Parts: sequence; structure tokens; C-alpha cells
Amino acid sequence: MNAIEVNDLKRIYKTTIGLIRRKIKEVVAVDGISFNVQDGELFGLLGPNGAGKTTTVKMLTTLLIPTGGSASIQGLDVVKDADKLRPRIGFIYGGERGLYWRLSGLDNLRYFSTLYYVDPDVAKKRIPELIEMVGLTGREKEKVEGYSRGMRQRLHIARALLHDPQVLFLDEPTIGLDPIGAREIRTAVLNLQSAKKTILLTTHYMFEADALCQRIAVINQGKIVALDTPEKLKQTVSDLSVVEIEIFGIPPEYIEKIHKLDFVDSVAIENHDQRQVMLIHTPIGPEAIPILVEQLSGLKLGKIVSRQPTLEDAYVRLVGGAE
Amino acid sequence: MTWDRFKKTLNVITMTFEVEMRQNLTDGFVIFGILLQPLIIAFMALWMLKEKGPDYSIFIVVGSGMTGLWTTLLFNGGNSITGERWNGTLEPLVGSPSSLRVIVFGKVLANISQSLLSMIVCYSFISLVIGYPLIVANPLLFFISLIFSVFAYVCFGLVIASLFILIRDIGRMINTLEFPVYILCGFLFPIAMLPGWTTPLSYVLSPYWAAQALHGSASGSATTGQIISYWGLLLGFSVAYLILSRSLYRVILYKARVDASLDTEG
Repeated sequence: MNAIEVNDLKRIYKTTIGLIRRKIKEVVAVDGISFNVQDGELFGLLGPNGAGKTTTVKMLTTLLIPTGGSASIQGLDVVKDADKLRPRIGFIYGGERGLYWRLSGLDNLRYFSTLYYVDPDVAKKRIPELIEMVGLTGREKEKVEGYSRGMRQRLHIARALLHDPQVLFLDEPTIGLDPIGAREIRTAVLNLQSAKKTILLTTHYMFEADALCQRIAVINQGKIVALDTPEKLKQTVSDLSVVEIEIFGIPPEYIEKIHKLDFVDSVAIENHDQRQVMLIHTPIGPEAIPILVEQLSGLKLGKIVSRQPTLEDAYVRLVGGAE
Repeated sequence: MTWDRFKKTLNVITMTFEVEMRQNLTDGFVIFGILLQPLIIAFMALWMLKEKGPDYSIFIVVGSGMTGLWTTLLFNGGNSITGERWNGTLEPLVGSPSSLRVIVFGKVLANISQSLLSMIVCYSFISLVIGYPLIVANPLLFFISLIFSVFAYVCFGLVIASLFILIRDIGRMINTLEFPVYILCGFLFPIAMLPGWTTPLSYVLSPYWAAQALHGSASGSATTGQIISYWGLLLGFSVAYLILSRSLYRVILYKARVDASLDTEG
């Protein structure tokens, strides 16, 4: 059975420009997307910044009214049945906001358990369990303002689980965390999945989506450009190889020149301080290297490798190197 | 409303009251606002009134107390919504099963109670220090008037706070409401001194009836019958504001979800 059903969902933001002759500018954030998430599934929404991931989650968590289309969770419409739906879902948004910093972690949980109508006897038992689950035991009486970013993220997860919802929305839960903090959150997400929760996770980290999600929808400029299992998404680039060239300072015209070569499928640049890595997707594999080196003559080149594509490469191909 | 629902609503109000109080009492600026500022105002007001009779001084004390309540209502009550938005907690509040109207009720109640408490403590303390008696003519009527007034203020605050949900930068616009209400409601001088056309405006503002009940019972200038009629009007306005706020919150929250104004982003 489907826990989440999304049909042709659309959201347009309107802003005004100018002072005297004010013009309304429309920005299409989500452009007619459709997908279903099954009961107990961990479903990923993967896309670059500004792709429409958070807007989608906000519509599904009843915080934004869609401009068009429809969505339902456990059979309840996100607009018409918002009041009935809210006790059944839990959500967290990435980042540090959304908590009372001048209160302790424990007081934050006590307050939200009241707002979610959790029976006081149940809350007394559940709050310490959740504190332990997210690894905040011993720090729960300290003010949130003294917590690290990772601790705040984990407190967010505890908050979202107070009323034991069956469906969870996790919007970029590891954003801005150090590698250890991010790994702890990913472990917590996997534990939730083994507890049979339905989870919709948004992220722009490919490895995270690959490691956690059973199915992934790749979203770009408000549209779903691919939806499948991580393995099948990787297969979409199985006909290609990836050539990685380390370059120390690359002018834009060189990127354009490489892109125009007839054996090049797509080009993406990764910036690492003083150096860049050019990722070239090509069906001819290592044979492309001499031609590429010739085209880049005059630039200071470093390591050059040819490898098999990963989910990240599939993603880059799908979103056209938008990141 | 069922008993179970009533209990849950009461729990939300109580817990919100506690959270708002705790947050305010750990904020240095608010501590200044609720302790030091009223202390300075109380000291100056009572010092200036040393030569006047006790009747006049209680009028000023009650009046300045009401200006404090109104300012608190306007700024702390409304701005607490803006604060929630900047904290990123407005969305979790709206996304919870509790009614935002009930949450705001708890927040405004906390702010009003805090302001009231600080005023009472300050005036009592200063009057004791400079040895100036503050005499309330009808303490029982005054106390009951105070309860009706606080309830009326909270209900009025509920309506005002809803505007803060809809419009992100309403704070700057609403500043202009501070002084007209002081004057229209007769907090510091009788409205008889104002042009006749302003009187109907005063009559539709519940703080005006609160001022009448509190001034009348404190100075003994109103009869018991008159004070009871003020209570009736205060209660009537409170119920009207509560009924109005029910529809207002439904419409405004829907509009805020259409306009994406629940967060600072988006």
C-alpha cells in the first residue's frame, strides 16, 4: 500500500518587482511532480539546491498550499485533511532553526510532546528513551544554545518522533554536519527504517541517497528527471566511462571547448581550493585521454584517471552538472 | 468541546505559558523591560505626584500600568510570533496538531501576566520606599476588574497577533498603534477631553472598558452597578474577539500557507 501519493503536484511562488509599477514575478518551484512511496519504504528526493525538494516536503507536511495537483498521506489529503494528518506525520528541516535555544533539550521535548497531545504518562517514558536513542543522555538538561550542530540535529529527530508517527519527512538532515555527526544521523535514519517507518528523505549528497534509500527520485528545476532504485539509476550511465582530470586553474572557454567535442556526453567541474577536477562522461573511455590532454594544452594538469560511473555520475548526467 | 479536548487545550495553554515565561526570564533585554524600566517609570511617576492627593495618584498609577500592559500586548505579544518565525519554530507550531490560536493565547497570557506582575511589584516597592500610600477604594471590585481586564487584553491580543502571522514586517506598521490607543482608551486622562467624533472609536476598544472598570474601582468614582456593567461589556468584547479570532486564524493561516509567509525564507 502507498503511504504517500503525489499527483502532478505544483507550486508557484509569486514575488513583486519594482516600486511604482509593481510587476508580479512567478517562480515555478515544483512543476507537476508525481510519485508514490510505499509503506515502510525509505524514499529519497535527490536534487541540487533550489531544485524544489524543500518546497515539496513543505507541501506534504501541510505547511504550504500547492498551486496545483494533489497529494495524500495514508489516504488523507494534505490540504483538505491537514488537521487530521498532522498528528500522523513527523518532520524535520535541516539546519539549526526550529528549536527553542534558551530552553534545555528536555524542555523542548516536553513542550512539543504537549503540542502533539502525547499522554503525559507516555511522554514521561518516551522522552528519556528518545534522548538515549539520539545520544543526548547527560546533556538533555543543558540549554540548546550550548549544543553543537549535530546535537541540535539529533534533538530535531527526537522531536519529530515524540508522537511516534508512522510517516517521517527528513529534509536534508545532515546538511552542514561534520562527517562523524552526519554518520550518526544516517545510523539513526537506518534505525528508523528498521522500525518500519515510512521515510521521505531529501538530500543533495549522492552517497547518502545511495547508502540509505531504496528508491530515489532525482529532481531538477522542479521536475522529476528520473525515479528508480540506486542500482538502476547507475545503469543509466553504464554505457559511459568517466575521465577525471585534475587542473590547476581552468578558464571557462576551455570547459566550453571540451563540451563541444563529439565524443563528450557531459562535463562537470568540482572545485577544491586551488585546483579543479574536470569530470568528462564519454563512451570511448581511456581513448579520450590523449585528445582531451591536447585540447587542454597550456594548462597545468595533475592526475588523470578513467573509471566506471557511480550514482554521482548518473546524477550529474541527469541534472546537467547543475551543482 | 469534549472534556478530553478541553484538558488538552488547557495543557497547551499552561505549557506555552511556562515556555514563554522561561524564555523571557532568560533574556536580558526582557528582564530590563519587566523589572528595571517599570521601576524607573514608577519611581518618577510617584515622585512627581508626591504633592497631589491619593485619588489622583492612583489614577496615574493604574493608567500607567495599563499603558504598560498595552505596550506589552502590542510588542511582546505580536513580536513573539515574529520571534517564532525567525527562530524557525513557527512552522513546527503550525504543523503540530495544536491550534495556533490556543498557543498564541498562552503566549499573550504569559506576556500580560508578566507585565502586570512587574507593575504591581514595582509600584508597591517604590511607594513603600518613598512612604507614599496607594489606596484602592474598592479592592474586591478592583481585583475582579483586573481579572476581566487581563482576559479582555489577552483576547484582543489574539486578534492583533494574527496579523503578525500574515505579514512578516507588520511590527514596524503596528508601532503606530501604541499612542492612539493610550489616548482613545483614556488610560492617562478622561476621553471627555477628546473631540466628540472619537468617542465611538473608544467604545469599540475593550481596553477602554478595562480602563473604566479599573479607574472606577480604584478611585471609588464609579458605582458598583456601573462597574458590573463594565465587566459585562469586557466579557462581551472578549467573547466577540474569541469568536472573531476563530475565523480569523483559519483564514489567515490558510493565506500564510498560500503566501509562504510562515518562514523567513521562501
